[in-house]
Amino acid sequence: MNWNFSAGNFSLRLPVTDQDGDALYELMSVQAQVDHLPRQAMTVPAQALDELRRMAMRFETREAAFWLVEGMYDKQLVARIGIQKINWMQLAAQLQWELYSAIELPELQEIFPAVANFIFDELNLHRLEMRLREGSEKHEALLKGLGFTFEGILPAQVEYEGDSVNMAVWSLLSSDRRA
Amino acid sequence: MNFTPELPFDGGRVRPLTYDDVDALFEIYQHPEIPGQHAPDNKDNLTRMVDLSVQMAATQRGMMWLLEVGDEGSREVQGMVSAYDWQPSQLRTMLRVDGLPQLSSEHRAAALNTCLEFMASKYHLRNFGYQWIAGQDEAIKTLLENCGFTLSATLRDGWRTGTESFADVAQFYKLLDVAKPVPGRLGEQDNPGQNLDKSFSGSAVNNGGGEA
Repeated sequence: MNWNFSAGNFSLRLPVTDQDGDALYELMSVQAQVDHLPRQAMTVPAQALDELRRMAMRFETREAAFWLVEGMYDKQLVARIGIQKINWMQLAAQLQWELYSAIELPELQEIFPAVANFIFDELNLHRLEMRLREGSEKHEALLKGLGFTFEGILPAQVEYEGDSVNMAVWSLLSSDRRA
Repeated sequence: MNFTPELPFDGGRVRPLTYDDVDALFEIYQHPEIPGQHAPDNKDNLTRMVDLSVQMAATQRGMMWLLEVGDEGSREVQGMVSAYDWQPSQLRTMLRVDGLPQLSSEHRAAALNTCLEFMASKYHLRNFGYQWIAGQDEAIKTLLENCGFTLSATLRDGWRTGTESFADVAQFYKLLDVAKPVPGRLGEQDNPGQNLDKSFSGSAVNNGGGEA
């Protein structure tokens, strides 16, 4: 199975541990780009290397897969999109993304269908959900624009900086695409 | 070491699993409550399940109790209470009750509340979830609401019932209005850690929790 693929003017590929540290650090060291997870922005480049190693280990066990999204021609990183907590029994996974601010709905509408096709058609999963911090309006608008359905708010899911954070749940089913 | 306590409730008790409970567990699993759950045809894995119940509690990943109804001398196993997906750092866990057909709503609720209160006082958990799967007894939803749980989300096709069939999952939560525990090292603030055989005052305040 080829895990790397293209989507319009973008290419998606699995990361390379000893090569992608700087680009990943640049993406994940901006608090606004990881706030919706929620997560603290990286503060030292070694964290990106650690993240890359974790991504590789989680991919080895097929527990998760993260793609670096790059411009087809300039090869500049514009986002990281991944699935994690892949449950092969329930045919479900959780979507996660970190996006540069330049990535908005038109770009995602170019990128995401290829990701969804891979998840539903190649991996044969049925349910894709995203859990994100309640009030992440920009991301929730993107999910809505991509056809996701809002399912509710899970209360006090994460202890983050002294607060109990509620998580909004959005989902896309393989059958939603045919609807 | 003992990690799972025996706890009385009005009309019965919950207690840790032992190897002598394999037949009782087999009987419970002959009556699966959840759609798509298959009844086992042998007892091979149930001894392992007793081992896992100890390991889960010791490593704070979950806890399992056998639910017995009746007084001493006439106790009858009527189900199980389980805590799973226990997230100690996030102060939350999921709960589940598997009951035989004769388990009454009153005993189901009493056992659930007793286990919930234990995990709140002992481990400072503040957030308890319960998944109701479409196709389960509708009365369980009312029971959960009466116990203080609130429907928070419905996960579409969140539970697989067959090769290509799925059921929605109603996700209920109960949040306790108590102060978060003050961080401290094991042994500080009269915190005995996981081992129930050590002294334990049972008070959240004495164990690092603040007043509500």
